[in-house]
Amino acid sequence: MTSGLPIRASWFVPCAVVGLLIATLPQRSNAADEPRVWLEKMNHALATRNYDGTFFHLSGGRVETMRIVHRVRAGRVTERLVSLDGSGREFVRNNDELTCYLPDQHTVLVEPRQDRGPFLGSLPQFGAGVNEFYRIESLPNSRVLGHSARVIMVTPKDQFRFGYRLWLDETSAMPLKTQLCDSRGQVIEQILFASLEMPENIPDSDLTPAVRTEGMRWVRQGASYDGASSALSAYRASELPPGFRLTVAGAQTLGGATEPATHLVYSDGLATVSVFVEAQREPNSGTGTDDKPRVPVEPPMQGLARVGSGYAFSTMVQGHQVTAVGEVPAQTVEFIAHSVKSSSGGDLRPH
Amino acid sequence: MSEQIREQVSAFLDGELPNSETELLLKRLMRDPELRESFGRYALIGESVRGGSHARLSQGFPGRVNRAIDGEPLVADPQGVRGRSTVWWRPFAGAAVAAGVAAIAVVALQQRAIAPTLRAALPVTVTNGGSAPYARVALNGGATTPREALSYTVPATVPDAPAALPAARLTNYVFAHSKYSSVLGQNDVLNDLLSEADSEDAGAAAAAAAGRAANDTAVPQPPGTRSPEARVAP
Repeated sequence: MTSGLPIRASWFVPCAVVGLLIATLPQRSNAADEPRVWLEKMNHALATRNYDGTFFHLSGGRVETMRIVHRVRAGRVTERLVSLDGSGREFVRNNDELTCYLPDQHTVLVEPRQDRGPFLGSLPQFGAGVNEFYRIESLPNSRVLGHSARVIMVTPKDQFRFGYRLWLDETSAMPLKTQLCDSRGQVIEQILFASLEMPENIPDSDLTPAVRTEGMRWVRQGASYDGASSALSAYRASELPPGFRLTVAGAQTLGGATEPATHLVYSDGLATVSVFVEAQREPNSGTGTDDKPRVPVEPPMQGLARVGSGYAFSTMVQGHQVTAVGEVPAQTVEFIAHSVKSSSGGDLRPH
Repeated sequence: MSEQIREQVSAFLDGELPNSETELLLKRLMRDPELRESFGRYALIGESVRGGSHARLSQGFPGRVNRAIDGEPLVADPQGVRGRSTVWWRPFAGAAVAAGVAAIAVVALQQRAIAPTLRAALPVTVTNGGSAPYARVALNGGATTPREALSYTVPATVPDAPAALPAARLTNYVFAHSKYSSVLGQNDVLNDLLSEADSEDAGAAAAAAAGRAANDTAVPQPPGTRSPEARVAP
């Protein structure tokens, strides 16, 4: 891996050199290993390098400009994601917590991160299993933003997950362009870097939110903890799309809630779905004649919403609000949410 | 988009725009929402026309554009490519391919969720039925399907929208979920970081992580793993 030279500098590297190197490589040898190697390089680069880039996030014909700053210093990672298009939203995360600044909502969300324990300790080894559900291959190199790029395609084998196409910078393995695709190869979302630098040092100021927080409401999500004592802890998805497995089971008091929710995480090794099981907040049953203004009641949620490149689906299961969220097709969050039931009781599915 | 801008964008996407002009184009894109939208469409068109991938536009794009794309042959047939079932592939942070799409979802939540064309643009297909335990209505079937009536959007800037799902609540879910769909949350990545760590700070983190891993459940955080400066008052 090269040093932290700005990628911009390599903009001027004579293409012929790179082209010659590529041309001398046998096109078909190591074809099977190559995508894996490059994905690992990308992973490593994303996790361990400093970078500061501006990218376009294209989805549904809309484009938003965002900046990502990522710094690794002495084992501590700090990352800042900023919307440059007016909302002023920022997302800052470090080893300890995530903070989301939503100036348009006059709100700051804080999420502790100290619950990596179970994730570390119980992460299933998917290994080759991933290949059951995704096909991974190299496509011919192409150029992105002036750089020669390895093109890796990850294609889902069914409709329960999305695929990816990745254009990885030949020298840094950074994803200059990524596409999220459905099982038919249609592009759902695209991330395209406009500029990307990999400086040796990133000053604190580049990681400091520009948001003025005076007068904003701070919402601190509760820490996750072992949900064994919770009445909701027995809830699990009784059926899962092929390849999905439970990777995390915990409980957490979400912002605005008084009772902890069970938080389950299911993954096929690539895609991740979170399931939240909560007691219905402030149920209003039995007081139908009381029309005085009271404590605001949160009505049951039912339905599907798009969140970013994924979906959220919420439904009621015997008085419990079950919400599945993930970067997966709508049918996957619906499937999982509908299958949630208490393993200590009977089948609570509404159907 | 004027012809000049179109040429600039095209050159930019092909990596052939000089740096000086690139800067100007980006500045222009950042302050011009309409240009960004055009750019977004154009980027997808260009992708297909250039044949860099077999990208196809999802529904919801202007018919003219769709027709233009439909005329383009696909570069490769995904079905024709042999699967590589023998590849051992360590799971990578797919959702974190660039920056963690859940994080992007939060940052972009408002604009995205209320986009009126969103439904039409959904590239979701009808489930094959065989493996799904319930029948499901196609999302792109139009605004009159029963499913459509049940669907909700985030009413962040639509005061009259039915508050089927409070925006804040959806945000909270995505936010909590983002921990597990980010680079930092991934096992292999964390190991990478810890193995490279050489500071006292990282050592404490490693010890804490080891302790938690042994416990196999979430426990109250060990002292010393939080940076005081990162704390915020509620």
